[in-house]
This record gives sequence, structure tokens and C-alpha cells, in this order.
Amino acid sequence: MQLVLNPDMICCVTAEPTLTELDDIEALDRVYRSRLLRFVAYSTGDQDLAETIVQDCLLKAYNARDSFRGDCAVYTWLAHIATNLMRDHQRTRKFQFWRRVQKTAPDLSELSSLLPSGESSPESQILARERAEQVSAMLEALSPNQRTIFLMRFIEEMELQEICQATGMQISTVKTHLHRAVKAVRLKLGGRI
Amino acid sequence: MEHQQSHLTDAQFSELLLGTKPTAVRAHLEACTQCSDEAARVSLALGSFEQQSRLWAERRAASQPILDSQRQPIFPWLHRPQAWTAAALAIALTAGIGVTVRNDISARKDQPRAVQQQIAIAKPVPALSPSTLKADNELLSAIDGELRADESAPATMYGLTSTSRGVRTRVSRKVSNE
Repeated sequence: MQLVLNPDMICCVTAEPTLTELDDIEALDRVYRSRLLRFVAYSTGDQDLAETIVQDCLLKAYNARDSFRGDCAVYTWLAHIATNLMRDHQRTRKFQFWRRVQKTAPDLSELSSLLPSGESSPESQILARERAEQVSAMLEALSPNQRTIFLMRFIEEMELQEICQATGMQISTVKTHLHRAVKAVRLKLGGRI
Repeated sequence: MEHQQSHLTDAQFSELLLGTKPTAVRAHLEACTQCSDEAARVSLALGSFEQQSRLWAERRAASQPILDSQRQPIFPWLHRPQAWTAAALAIALTAGIGVTVRNDISARKDQPRAVQQQIAIAKPVPALSPSTLKADNELLSAIDGELRADESAPATMYGLTSTSRGVRTRVSRKVSNE
């Protein structure tokens, strides 16, 4: 006798670990905090603010876990919450004032000694750091939407559909932002004139 | 030849960055050193950034305490702006009601006094006996007489005489007779 899986059964099987993950706040923190922190820190350009937003995001997600329907990945849902929180912060005047006064961009220079053994020579460490700093500077030159979408696509490796879900934008809008971001990247990093 | 003249489009370049290399792109990269150099530079830069930023985030996240569901705010509603608005409204309403009630009570307390004053004003004067009335009238006439008698005194005292001949007071006539 041959067993046949129907799509409903597959959905149940895939949804189960997701619910378990959301039910345990420590697991949620352990799995997603660093990924969210990187995304938010480079989207806002402020690591202190990023920590606050990530903390709020994880707590919000945990408290609203019952509303998660499982129709997207947990990270997509978290990125959606984080994106909304970033927008809220960017809207307030208070944030804009403090952003100018005490913005603390992520500092990659402290990490040169942590690079894997493949790039452990001092020269390669310096080169790698310079390249990363070029990307960091290039990101700052992008508009907030272009930066967020570029990070989602090329650093977080999210699919276009996931980016749409996370940002609440139409796919055409996402593609437009991405197109402009890639153009800027090619200009700044590709060495084209 | 066509690939060498028109370089990779942004869409093709995006695919390349995401790790997918369609045949046309691969063929172009083999033929066009400018595009292959560009792709190598950008890929390397993004790779370095991805690696370093991931390490930075992991390190930063590890230095922070893990979230605990028990450590949520004691009164989460206090952190909502609506709660503060509602509290402000409640205080304003309470204060308004308090002032109104106080005014009402003080008005009620003052009311009997006002009423008593009105009653006192409206109270009829007790009727006087005819003898008292007669005595009062006599007293008033006597006072009137005294006053009339003193009327011309200042003028005579200071040697002032009236210019009108016909009009002479009783007192001045009496003084001239003396």
C-alpha cells in the first residue's frame, strides 16, 4: 500500500516547528536576534537604535504569536515588524534629533581579528575590512527604502515575494528600488565610470 | 561579439550577485573582462561585508541578555500613549466634576442666609402707638425749629447782612430788635 501525502498534511508538518519556535522566546532570541540586528543596524545606520528596535520586535512577535498565520517564514514576519518599527522611529521628531546628535554606526574595524582562517593574514584582513567599509559607505548613500530592500535581497538573501511581504510594497516598487540600488552599487563598487 | 559590446544589464548583474549564472551571462563574462572584473569586485565586496557584518551582529547579540518572557513590563498598558491620554481625560473630568460639585454645595449653604436677609427686609415694621407718634412728631418739630433758629447765625456772626430788604429771617429780626 502506498501512502499519499496531500498538501494539507504538508502544511501541518511545516507549520509545527514554526509555532514551537515562536512559543519559546529564548529560542526566538537565539535564532533571530543577530540576523535582525544586522539588518536593522545597517538599515538605520545606528547600532544603539537597532538594539532597541530588535528587542521591541522580538517582544512584539512573542506577544502577538497567536496572530502569526504561518503563511510566510518567521524571519519574513519578524522583518515586517522590524521594518514597521523603523518607520515609526524615523517618523518621530525626537528620533530625528537624537539621530543627528548621537548616531552610532556599526563599527566593522573591531572585527578584523575575527575573520576566518582563509583571510587571516594581516593584508587580507585589511583588504576585507576596506571592502566591507566601501559597502557600508555605499549603503549610507542609498535612500532608506533602497537600502532596506538591497539588504533584504543581497545580504539576507530573501526572495522578492518575501521582501514584498516584509515591506508591504508592491513587487514593481520593490523591483524599482532594487534596480536603483544595484545601479548605485555598480557605480560605487564596480569601478565603472 | 554582441555580448562584448553591450555589457550586463542591472537585472543580469543582480542575478549574478545572487549566485545564479544563466548561460548568456556566463558566456558574456567569459568574453568581457570589464564585466567579469566588475562582477568580481562587487561580489568580493559584498562577500566581505556579509561576513564581517554577520560576525559583528553575532558578537553584539551575544553580549546582550537573552529576552525573558517573564521580564516584560509590569504594566504594559502604561507604555501605550492611549493610556496616558485616557488618564489625562479622566483627571480633567474628575477635576471638572469636583469643581462643579463644590460650587453647587457652597451655593446651597449660602441660600438660607440670603433667604433670611430677604425675609428680614420684607418684615413689616411694628405699628406704633398714637402717643409715641405724637411724641416723635413733637421731637422732630422741635429739632426743625432749632435748626431754623441757627440758620442765620453764621451770617450775623461775621457781620454779613442780607442784600434783599424784604426778606428777613425771624432770628435776624429778633437780633435787630434787641
